Amino acid sequence: MLTKVKSKWNYLVIAALLVLLLLIPFEWFLGQYTHLAIFIGIYTIVTVGLCLLMGYTGQVSLGQAAFFGMGAYVSAILSKTYGVNPWLAMFIAAVMTGAFAYFIGYPIFRLKGNYLAMATLGLGLIMWILFRQLVQYTGGPDGMVGIPYLSIGGFVFDTSFKRYFLIWFFCLVILLISQNIVRSRTGRALRAIHGSEAAAESLGINVDQFKVKILALSAVYASLAGSLYVHHLRFVSPQSFDFLASVKLVVMAVIGGLASVWGAIFGSGTTHVLSEVLRKAGEWDIIIYGLILMLIMIFMPGGLFVKLKEIFERLRLRYRQRGVEP
Amino acid sequence: MSGSEILETKSLTKAFGGLVALDKIDLSLQAGKITAIIGPNGAGKTTLFNLIAGVYPVSSGQIYFQGKILNKIPAHKRAAMGIVRTFQHVHLFGNMTVLENVMSGRHPRSSYGFLESAFRLPKARREEESISLNAIKYLNLVGLGTHAEHDALSLPLGQQKLLAIARAMATDPRLILLDEPGAGLNTLEKRQLSDLIRNIREMGISVVLVEHDMPLVMGLAEWVIVLDSGQKIAEGTAAQVQKNPKVIAAYLGEEVE
Repeated sequence: MLTKVKSKWNYLVIAALLVLLLLIPFEWFLGQYTHLAIFIGIYTIVTVGLCLLMGYTGQVSLGQAAFFGMGAYVSAILSKTYGVNPWLAMFIAAVMTGAFAYFIGYPIFRLKGNYLAMATLGLGLIMWILFRQLVQYTGGPDGMVGIPYLSIGGFVFDTSFKRYFLIWFFCLVILLISQNIVRSRTGRALRAIHGSEAAAESLGINVDQFKVKILALSAVYASLAGSLYVHHLRFVSPQSFDFLASVKLVVMAVIGGLASVWGAIFGSGTTHVLSEVLRKAGEWDIIIYGLILMLIMIFMPGGLFVKLKEIFERLRLRYRQRGVEP
Repeated sequence: MSGSEILETKSLTKAFGGLVALDKIDLSLQAGKITAIIGPNGAGKTTLFNLIAGVYPVSSGQIYFQGKILNKIPAHKRAAMGIVRTFQHVHLFGNMTVLENVMSGRHPRSSYGFLESAFRLPKARREEESISLNAIKYLNLVGLGTHAEHDALSLPLGQQKLLAIARAMATDPRLILLDEPGAGLNTLEKRQLSDLIRNIREMGISVVLVEHDMPLVMGLAEWVIVLDSGQKIAEGTAAQVQKNPKVIAAYLGEEVE
């Protein structure tokens, strides 16, 4: 009975969010923020991957921007320099990035904890240097411009309004897939690894292999996001994939609440809206930004999303009690 | 010995650097029995467990499980063969509910992977149903059915230990290794534990336990193996072992210190 009521509420909330998402890009609603909402969507995709990797499996990555950047650059180079169809370029980028993550996963996961963090950090730095230095392919620090739009048949995604729907379609599909994974045998195996590697191994879970596979999956997500990013902006430069970018991704995952796939939207959303609002504060923005992050971490260690859910749950219970009791 | 050995070791040796933790141990465990491994601290009991479970490689000698050599088989494959263990420090998955912990134990008895999970393919749904049915069955076996939706770590220690056994049983083992299952339990919980272990044996599953609690061991074990300083010093029924002068010396020697 209780679970039934609960799930009815969940559906209501989800429906409300979907309607909100659907209306955002319209001029008479929040149209002026379409661009921001697109970025929230792109970064949500990367953040979901990090949630699976860090929140569920307990493996730190401080170099997720490397995979994000790989997707972006492979897409950009293939579609602009070599005239490959952007969709095919996107697919090739995802396969390449996933395979790359898979193969570096085996040596990287011989390390644990801080050492794993250091290794992924190193990976991020190396990729960033490559983006800057392979000037003849990447355009170096200046980056590349004039990357083609995505299109289906004659329909070109040439306005923010159109791309908004494309990107959020990808985002929601990826969220749904991730949710399914989390609630499955695979998801339990991942959480088991986080809980106790020794126990997971004793129950027949191939710990190393699951870690490598989830790293590869998170890399594929990041790569897809990177591809969408370049076909949206039509511009790419190494700056978007430096160390700070990796840190920001971790921040988004943590704010969203590592143990929830849907929290990724909140993580990405909060971070982006915050930096947008703080732009008015000029040079103070980084200080205020840091302060807010600290407050969130101190008072909501489970992440913003989890806290919001808690508050919502409490309100709902109070409302129900009032309704039922005389 | 007669035909049906579940587990056998031949001059099994494990050395950590210069320290020989286990020295040429020959064991032969009968299928369908409760066997206890006892001995003072540092005797090598946990090392023996870890070798059987595949936590680290053997230095020399062989381990056979149902006649098949185990030495080179990685730990995660041993569960599918029918060997499972519990831990002295429980090692429950704190990020899951009680039921999910037991469902994790079905891992080697199911096979759907990332793709089937991601798209909820029919195979995933089918297996998921049998996973939860079996998990509930094993949860009821240890008497925790009513706690299914609780957080695993919200249970008191005694129930956590039972849950760990349920989780291990969910792998449908032929051999279950229990590492100090009685540690930290009160008298009532110990009695429940003994009943559970006898139940497991009745199901035709071989049980090996490492245990410090002598009354518990003597009440349960049909065969007792005594280790001291990495060597097997005695084996036999509980009554035989208790009278063995070497065993008495090993224990008294420790207690007098």
